[in-house]
Amino acid sequence: MSASIDYKHLIQADKVHGSMYTDEAIYEEELEAIFYSSWVYIGHESEIKKAGDFVARDIGRSAVIMVRDKESTVNVLVNRCSHRGNNLCNEMDGNKRNFSCLYHGWVFGLNGDLLDVPYPDGFTKDKKDHGLQKLVTDSYRGFVFACFKEPKVSFDDYLGNGKKLIDRACNLSPEGEVDLTGGWVRQKFDANWKMLPENDTDGYHVNYVHQSFVQVIPSQYNEFVGGEDTNKGVIRDWGNGHTEIDFAAGYVNTLDWLGSTVEKSKSYVEKMHAAYGEEEGERRMFDGPPHSCIFPNLFLAEMNIVIFQPTSVNSCVQWSTPMFLKGVPELNFKLLRQSEGALGPAAFLLADDATIAERAQKSLQAGTPWCDLSRGMDREIVREDGVKESRMSDETSNRGFWHHYRSMMLGEK
Amino acid sequence: MSKQVAFEVTRELEAFVIQEAKYADEGQYQAWYDLWAEDAVYWVPLKDGDDPAHKASHLYDNYSRLTTRIKQLNTGNRFSQVPISGMRRVISNYEFFSDTDDKFRVEANFYLPEYSIQSTHSFRIWSGRYTYVVSRKGDSFQIHSKKIVLVNAEEPISTLSFLI
Repeated sequence: MSASIDYKHLIQADKVHGSMYTDEAIYEEELEAIFYSSWVYIGHESEIKKAGDFVARDIGRSAVIMVRDKESTVNVLVNRCSHRGNNLCNEMDGNKRNFSCLYHGWVFGLNGDLLDVPYPDGFTKDKKDHGLQKLVTDSYRGFVFACFKEPKVSFDDYLGNGKKLIDRACNLSPEGEVDLTGGWVRQKFDANWKMLPENDTDGYHVNYVHQSFVQVIPSQYNEFVGGEDTNKGVIRDWGNGHTEIDFAAGYVNTLDWLGSTVEKSKSYVEKMHAAYGEEEGERRMFDGPPHSCIFPNLFLAEMNIVIFQPTSVNSCVQWSTPMFLKGVPELNFKLLRQSEGALGPAAFLLADDATIAERAQKSLQAGTPWCDLSRGMDREIVREDGVKESRMSDETSNRGFWHHYRSMMLGEK
Repeated sequence: MSKQVAFEVTRELEAFVIQEAKYADEGQYQAWYDLWAEDAVYWVPLKDGDDPAHKASHLYDNYSRLTTRIKQLNTGNRFSQVPISGMRRVISNYEFFSDTDDKFRVEANFYLPEYSIQSTHSFRIWSGRYTYVVSRKGDSFQIHSKKIVLVNAEEPISTLSFLI
């Protein structure tokens, strides 16, 4: 990292400097240090069920394709012809036998191998050396992560406690799997990408940014507004930059998180009892899904999956899709409509979050502002396993995000 | 819906669409809401032809959710529209279809510059195709559905909390 940016000064235990959101040099460095040198979330195996199925994704400004090949292996390939750099695939999803470049007709297999070069006599190099750039790939319960370079940290060490959070999501399906086939809504924010993971595990803003939502929409969040002494939500720093608001302790009834009841969702309840037994099934259906960010770009947003995509220092895109539960398709319609209600450009919640982030982005451009993150420092607790917890309104989660971010920018992780 | 719509009726339908657009542009939420029938579908799909039973949309409101949307805007605390975006949309290239004497489909292109005064203080351009299904109600019409297919529907889009 460049010596000119003093990350130790700009990111302190209790505050971060405004330039962390607005400085282009910092943005370039974080793309390199975080998005192009370490593990990032790409997609879910359920999106590409058959050989040849692919989805396109953007990681920062790099376009990649996640594709299942004929051996059923999931590959993540850079979406750029190895010949003259044209983008290979212009569709967001589909099924292909191979990828062929429109420019000079080079053909690549689903595993990225260069298969064919038209008029082969003139190209004497070894085709083996000219396949598509392939990312290092690993997955956990269908969630596919990848790294543009040989990772410094093993996938297991990177994901750490994130596994528990992914488990919590998958465990809501009687078949133990989620299914992400509801389509991706993409919302543009004129704000730095870091404001999204920060805001998504900030339990402090709900009363203010979302007051219009709270005023008119009865929801599972009703138990989590008002005075902080009565709020049973827990904020958590799981380590490795993974953070959470845990609503479970504040729910009153089973399936509150679904906006439903045991009576209204009989078939789901029966399937969960049959799969896991009454007691365990009941526990899972009471606690509900995670509301957790997996560093740097995945948000397990209760019954939605969200991806953060930086697009410039001053802009980013939030991808969101409903999290269908395998084995319970009867919930899909409800989950689709709930997803549209909460997330996306027209949603009752996220539209306002975007506006607040955009206002902050604009006002942080001037002067040398600091953003305070000290709330709850003196009352958070450190559990035996190192996980930090505090009240829902405390900034423990944001400190956890920045602590990890700083260590990555300093090359420590 | 293929029957020829009489010229005088097309003028009435066009005037109705212009009125609806004016209410939306000016944030006259209650007046806009009153144009809707109870089988309302207000819909911005990710892709024309998507089935909302299986695919998410940018926006998919039935009457109940439309009611909530208007209530939220009316709180005065829907910050993504405080103050309301500056908007003056232009609607053109109308086509009119009908099967019966009192139910019509109106399709038209629109071009909507939105000035985001509450956030970035910049122009955002929205454009696409409106498809209305309306029926006679008193001496005017009521809206059963309004589908808005954005030209960039499949791309990332900005905050859409105004009435499009």
